[in-house]
Amino acid sequence: MNASLEKKKILETENYSYHFDRAIYINRESKKIFSFEYIEDNSSAVLKQDILEENENDDWKFYFNSPVSESVKNEIKGILAR
Amino acid sequence: MIERSIDDRLREEYFKILPNVKRVASQLEAEIKFKLINLSKRLKSYERYEVSSRIKDCESAVEKLRQDQEGGTFDKEKPDEYSLTQLHDLAGVRVLVFPRALVDEVNNILIEHFEDWTSNPMGILDSDANSAYKYYGHASGDNTIYGEVQITPMLTGLFLGVEHFALYKAKPKYKGVAKHPDMNEEKQNVLKALATFEDTFEKLILENEK
Repeated sequence: MNASLEKKKILETENYSYHFDRAIYINRESKKIFSFEYIEDNSSAVLKQDILEENENDDWKFYFNSPVSESVKNEIKGILAR
Repeated sequence: MIERSIDDRLREEYFKILPNVKRVASQLEAEIKFKLINLSKRLKSYERYEVSSRIKDCESAVEKLRQDQEGGTFDKEKPDEYSLTQLHDLAGVRVLVFPRALVDEVNNILIEHFEDWTSNPMGILDSDANSAYKYYGHASGDNTIYGEVQITPMLTGLFLGVEHFALYKAKPKYKGVAKHPDMNEEKQNVLKALATFEDTFEKLILENEK
């Protein structure tokens, strides 16, 4: 199995779904968002660790390669709230 | 006063640069056709190539730039960071070649013309890094608009054309489908089948000519 498919399996097993327009994986229960680029650039082991990591806030947690500005966070949160 | 969105700023930019984009596309197409004239005289009966140019339409260009951002989202706090001139394929020329064994010959003819450009072997098939070639850079006389040239096996190029229409043109939200691992796996299967078809065709043609 290639690395992308392996990571996709890991995410789907943990109930992450793919948002086609924004190319992100989301889990509404744990309130985590992984960008396509972050998933591509990190190993399966890092991904598993991130999935297990506690989300201490009640707010969405973003796993992106670049720092995410408040404006980008708000736009994505707005889309997910629709 | 309501501030204009980043999308609207980019739409305005598009129509400002459109004449240059059209000129770059026409110039590249003409230059490539000229470079390939000698090849056209010695093609075997079953060999062919086609050169065509296109320019990205306004909405596709804005959407492409947005999709290129992580999370597919423009940062409203940094409106000046975005320009359509960042896109590498506003003006594009595609050279479709049949059979795929001729791709390297076409590439070798054109490569001198693009020696200052950035080469980006397409690796259409995961297992075949140089199955097609792609270059981007500035055409002579213009250093603002990037042009892109693709040299692709014909069957693959036509398949990618249909895929591009379905995933990129039909509805903006389908663009994310292209990045999905399931889609990539199926795409690889189709591309492998097309490559096998061409290889077998050429092998039989060569045997027949002996």
